[in-house]
Amino acid sequence: MSYEKVLIALCAALAIGLTALATAWAQSKIGAAGAGALAEKPELTGTIVILVAIPETMVILGFVVSTMILFTVK
Amino acid sequence: MIVRMAKVEIVGAKDLLQEVLARLRELGVFQIEPATVGFIEEGHEDDIRSFMLDEKSVFERLFLEELRAKVGDLLSSLPKVQVRCSYLDPRPVIDTVAAIVERHRVAIKEKNERMDALRKERVELERYAAFLGTLAPLIGSVHETPDLDFIGLTIREPEMVIRLKEALSRITDWKYDLMTEPAADGTLVGLITVEKDHADRVKKTLSDEQVPELIFPPSFTGLSFPEKVKYVNTRAAEHTGDIERIDAELARFTQRWMPIYRSVRDWIDDRLSLLSTTASAFETRMCFFINGWMAAKDVKKVRGELAEAFQGDVVLAEKEMHEEDLDHVPIILKNPPYFKPFEIFTSMLPLPSYTSYDPTPFIGIFFPVFFGMILGDAGYGLLLGAIALYVMKKYRKLHMVRDGAKVLLVASLYSIFFGVLFGEFFGDLPERFFHLQPLCVERRTAVVPMIFFALAVGVAHVLLGLVFGVISGFQKKEKKEAVYKLLSIVMILGLIIVLASYFEVFPTFLARPVIIAILFLTPLLFFTGGLLAPLELLKSIGNIISYVRIMAIGLTSVLLAFVANNLGGLTGDVVTGVVVAGLIHLLNIILGVFSPTIHSLRLHYVEFFSKFMEHGGRRFEPLKK
Repeated sequence: MSYEKVLIALCAALAIGLTALATAWAQSKIGAAGAGALAEKPELTGTIVILVAIPETMVILGFVVSTMILFTVK
Repeated sequence: MIVRMAKVEIVGAKDLLQEVLARLRELGVFQIEPATVGFIEEGHEDDIRSFMLDEKSVFERLFLEELRAKVGDLLSSLPKVQVRCSYLDPRPVIDTVAAIVERHRVAIKEKNERMDALRKERVELERYAAFLGTLAPLIGSVHETPDLDFIGLTIREPEMVIRLKEALSRITDWKYDLMTEPAADGTLVGLITVEKDHADRVKKTLSDEQVPELIFPPSFTGLSFPEKVKYVNTRAAEHTGDIERIDAELARFTQRWMPIYRSVRDWIDDRLSLLSTTASAFETRMCFFINGWMAAKDVKKVRGELAEAFQGDVVLAEKEMHEEDLDHVPIILKNPPYFKPFEIFTSMLPLPSYTSYDPTPFIGIFFPVFFGMILGDAGYGLLLGAIALYVMKKYRKLHMVRDGAKVLLVASLYSIFFGVLFGEFFGDLPERFFHLQPLCVERRTAVVPMIFFALAVGVAHVLLGLVFGVISGFQKKEKKEAVYKLLSIVMILGLIIVLASYFEVFPTFLARPVIIAILFLTPLLFFTGGLLAPLELLKSIGNIISYVRIMAIGLTSVLLAFVANNLGGLTGDVVTGVVVAGLIHLLNIILGVFSPTIHSLRLHYVEFFSKFMEHGGRRFEPLKK
């Protein structure tokens, strides 16, 4: 029983952890490129903010999956 | 809201063009259109050509451009000091200014050059003075004889002294003396005394070792050490006096002439811009034409103004706007006072096209609600509201700051509202101190209900976006696009019903007919949206799930507040507890301003506006002073 709980917790952690890493990696790339673009064209601020925020969907989806694992898997 | 625009043509006698342009610029409501597309009717292209300046205007333009360059050069070489405003009308004195500006420019240039030379020389003298001052105690112990040579030098690294001594011993056969003294700037000042025969080799060695030798200018030749010190001090004092005198002269000149020259420069800029605007006008044999745009409500006023000013010699006609004109119409956004501050967010986006919607009211309505849902703490809301009020009062003249504070004030009111619903006041303090239970739901523990709540918000927001997309599609007569969006709405609602039936929220028997309906509608979706239509539908579902961030970020905020209160309680001392909890709450508030702002905006920009907004409008830039 406790073995199953550990597995469930591990799966939930993996679901959010891996997506968080993926988001961080994507944001680091977009952020670096965005900072460069902003130095040239400050008027692109809005677009860059949107671009940086786009990969966050991954971690949100990871969070949803993680919550589903924790609360729905019996 | 996007202001309704009118396409207008102004026609008049050719010699009135500049006066008309000047009048239009005073009114500041007309944007000139240099392109002829959509303005000049077919068959008339050969009769109408770009307006050519007459000989007098061309000479005036050349004269003003030259004068502008001279005045600009003079102004840039004057010291930056606070000066009065000039109320002199530059027009009558422009010829006088043109006659004297060159003389002033040369005089100021000479003064500046003299000043630069004096300053440079004074820096050198200060360097010599510092060097001689440091050497003074060393010189006192050396007897000047004709056979000896003295070499001054600056040593930056103390280790260099040992290497120098080795080199000097080798060159002079130990017949040298090297004395060093620390200088004020942290370096070492040294004096080498050698026989004259060895002096050249020593100097070469210093050069090889990159030790800077201090060489005095020719004017120091023949002076003894005390005379050198006196000479340096006298020269430095003279230079300081000269610099102060030139400074005062420049300041006097600036106070007297800068306001006049500034006023002349502004007038020339104004006049040149008017002359260059004529390039955007058109002419026939006798008339000029100006095409352009203005707000529809201004047409009557401008027509009246022109008729009155030119006694009917100039006519303004409103032209019919065709479908192909819609891509060229400049955009004016005008919003009621409540929505106006939210334009700071709209300005971060490209302008909407003329046939689309102004995003400001949508942001004005939904942004504070999302912000409140995410922050959801009455205590934080009160604090942010107080800060917003203070900033609004303190910086009422800075429009951007004031607008930001207004947005924060509205958002903080929603935070208070949701804080009351969630029972949060600086975290769980109401429960800790008064055993008060939340009115609606406790976010910290009700994770799944809050996810459903956030998803419900997402469904409502995304579907609203799609509804606007349907309306926009029908308005623009893009029926296929409109039907595709309508089908997307139906499909999303169908999928929600199927999921709700699966989780037994709705009766299970509903699932089968809805699935059949979805399958039946799928070919229609392909037909209206193309092969990628299912992918787009999947994207919309992803957009809805993205709204879970409202709950997720809210959860981090409430948990951080909970941790702050717990840590504060663990200290066992009231003062320390308040300080610890206060610091963590402060961090949470700072995060609580930025995070909800960015995420609420993202939900608008990416999830909501992508369903119906069309960008690509150009800003309305009227002729004005």
